[in-house]
Amino acid sequence: MADSMSDANLATAPDKMTDFPNPVNAEPGMSMSHFLVSSVHDMKNSLAVMADFLETALAQAADPATPLYRQASQALYETRRINDHLIQLLALYKIEQDFYPFDPREQNLADLALDALSRVANLAQARGISLEYECPDDLHAWFDYELIVGVLVQALHNALHYARGRVLCLIAADPRGGISIRVEDNGPGFPDFLLRQGASHQREISFETGSTGLGLYFASVVAGLHRGGERNGSTRLENEGSLGGGCFVLELP
Amino acid sequence: MKIHNLPLPDFSRKSFLIVEDYEGMRGILRDLLGRAGATRIDFAASGDSALTMLEKTRYDAVLCDLHLGQGKNGQQVLEEARLRQLLAPHGVWLMISAEKSSEMVMGTAETRPDDYLVKPISETLLFIRLRHQMDKKQVLAPIEQAMRDHEYLKAMRLVDQLLATHSAYTWDLKRLKAELALQSGDLEQARAVFEDALGQRDLPWARLGLARILFQDNQLEQARQHLLRITGGSRAYLDAHDWLARTLESLGDLDGAQKALEHALSLSPHVAARQSSLGEVAARRGDLETAARAYRRGIELARNSRNASVEPYLSLARVLLARGESGEAAEVIGRLGVDMKHDSNAQFLARVMEIPIRLNSGGEQAASQLLAELAPSLRHDAHRLPPELAFDLAGPLLQLGDRETLDAVFTNLLANHHEHPDYANRVRTLYAEAGREEEGVKLVEEATRSALDIMDRGVSLSRAGKLDEALTLLREACHKLPGNPRLLLNHAYLLITHMEQHGRDLHLVYEALECIKTARRSAPHDKRVGELLAKLEQVGA
Repeated sequence: MADSMSDANLATAPDKMTDFPNPVNAEPGMSMSHFLVSSVHDMKNSLAVMADFLETALAQAADPATPLYRQASQALYETRRINDHLIQLLALYKIEQDFYPFDPREQNLADLALDALSRVANLAQARGISLEYECPDDLHAWFDYELIVGVLVQALHNALHYARGRVLCLIAADPRGGISIRVEDNGPGFPDFLLRQGASHQREISFETGSTGLGLYFASVVAGLHRGGERNGSTRLENEGSLGGGCFVLELP
Repeated sequence: MKIHNLPLPDFSRKSFLIVEDYEGMRGILRDLLGRAGATRIDFAASGDSALTMLEKTRYDAVLCDLHLGQGKNGQQVLEEARLRQLLAPHGVWLMISAEKSSEMVMGTAETRPDDYLVKPISETLLFIRLRHQMDKKQVLAPIEQAMRDHEYLKAMRLVDQLLATHSAYTWDLKRLKAELALQSGDLEQARAVFEDALGQRDLPWARLGLARILFQDNQLEQARQHLLRITGGSRAYLDAHDWLARTLESLGDLDGAQKALEHALSLSPHVAARQSSLGEVAARRGDLETAARAYRRGIELARNSRNASVEPYLSLARVLLARGESGEAAEVIGRLGVDMKHDSNAQFLARVMEIPIRLNSGGEQAASQLLAELAPSLRHDAHRLPPELAFDLAGPLLQLGDRETLDAVFTNLLANHHEHPDYANRVRTLYAEAGREEEGVKLVEEATRSALDIMDRGVSLSRAGKLDEALTLLREACHKLPGNPRLLLNHAYLLITHMEQHGRDLHLVYEALECIKTARRSAPHDKRVGELLAKLEQVGA
């Protein structure tokens, strides 16, 4: 494989942690939040190394039909999922402690789509899922790149998990202004309780599905940070996608 | 559409520098660039070795990690490289970091990288961003060159042309336009850009730009409101904290200023200038302990770098003297002598500061001896003394009875800063307390008049058509009074007038430019700075 779309080498050398603030009045390096934040960083680095290893192993595996291949691709998904969550926890911590340097810039959306899809291409390949996108070449919007690519990658990981062979990312200008990003799959769709909870911030932990709601919470916080005129960004879940499965929608003003 | 294979960019003719202290990451970046055909790739593992490489080669792109372990960080390397013009006008600087940080987001064209990438880096994004920035910098290179040549009007013209024809880089161009307008003193034009941007989105950099204009326009309360909106939204915008501190200090709220600086330092303690600002504010509040600590850190951070300056050493010694710790003050000055052993001016100032230190530690005879040695230079080169050092010297000169040097030092100080209201008051008070009230009043008047006289004579000489004589007179005066912005700008004006009559002359252009730049340092908000830069650019062109 190793075509240029698949980032076998997402550069995952260990991060060097620096600038995170100590809570006011705390001795430098002595607080619980210090250990939490630095441990999350550390775990994130380790997981990225493991995910890279799994991708390389899967790329070299002979027969995708073997149980071992399926288990390894499942392990890759779980690794990526936890990695997403750690990244989201760090970002949410910064946002909620008021020190995330939010940086909205006017940026090209086809570039965003290409980047996000390339980050999940190996997982899609390992799971035998066809990954497609539609986006006008010259579409631009104001957004904070790192946050939005985080939301999109997480939505794609989720769709790849439930899809039965197809995932589609649709990015289009919204006739009311702004843009909408839809991540659709041809899986069984979202369960009712998730649809009911919609995009609300108040979400219960579901012990049935193991979902902590973190991903959706992160997405709605990130969307809400994006303001234009009177409008805020928003997220929602639907089951009316063009592929018949679940559909995650992110709208930015 | 299916995800097609992203066509690889062709980097085979491009040169790269990878600045990264971690070997594994250097390899990863090299392999990524190699996939796009790059072969001319150099490596540096530290900030200093990066600067050595940059001295030798003008790279097409620099990929630099923000955190480089011990020594300079990526931001310091970038700023020094820009300051020393070690980058090609089309050269791209891509900052790489584990986390998004405020330095990468805010700042001016001189301090901001062209773009940044947050790890983990995807190959796709690296190529998209690199190609985009390379294309953009190629288009913007003539503007960059004009700015380096201090041709702001030309740069502005180029920006406007591109804005009319290139839709791709609209916001880069607009932000650049605002910065150019600020450089050339056209506050209204800059304000229009920032307000346009704020009409699009609540953009922190645009709000900060607006606040800076309001600050320059002395609308401090409004500046404060805008800055609070930025710092209230997120503590991460450190520049906004620095400007908030400056604004609060001007509003007389020293407690608030210190708090704002301490906040910024809790997030990012490794900025020498910010530590020095904290030192100043704390010293003004009488919080000498904080002041001493901040100056010490500032000195440590700037040591052996281009940012090293004499001022924090002198300020620290002053604070220590005020605390009665003359032994430690002597140590600081001793360290100044070592740290700046190649800077003759620093050596001179260090010796001058030794006079009050010796006196404070009871060495009256030693102080007297040193003064006798330095007195001729002090009288002749009084303009080399920073104002606060002159005031440090006042007590010792009175105590040691050297009135002649005292008068010479303060006559020069006041002629050098004849528009500074505080200095005149302080000098009058100083003389009054020494029982020489009348002499103090006279000295202030004469010093002020002498500066004005020179300018008047310059004007009448030039009106009488004796432009060469006027130039000689002012050139001499500028040498003696290099801290007087009015004088410097008048001299620049005469130089330009001369060239309007006799044609453009490169030596005179540089002389005028030097005057304007020096004046801008002490009077950054003077509208004439921009006007004269514009005139200078147009003269004989």
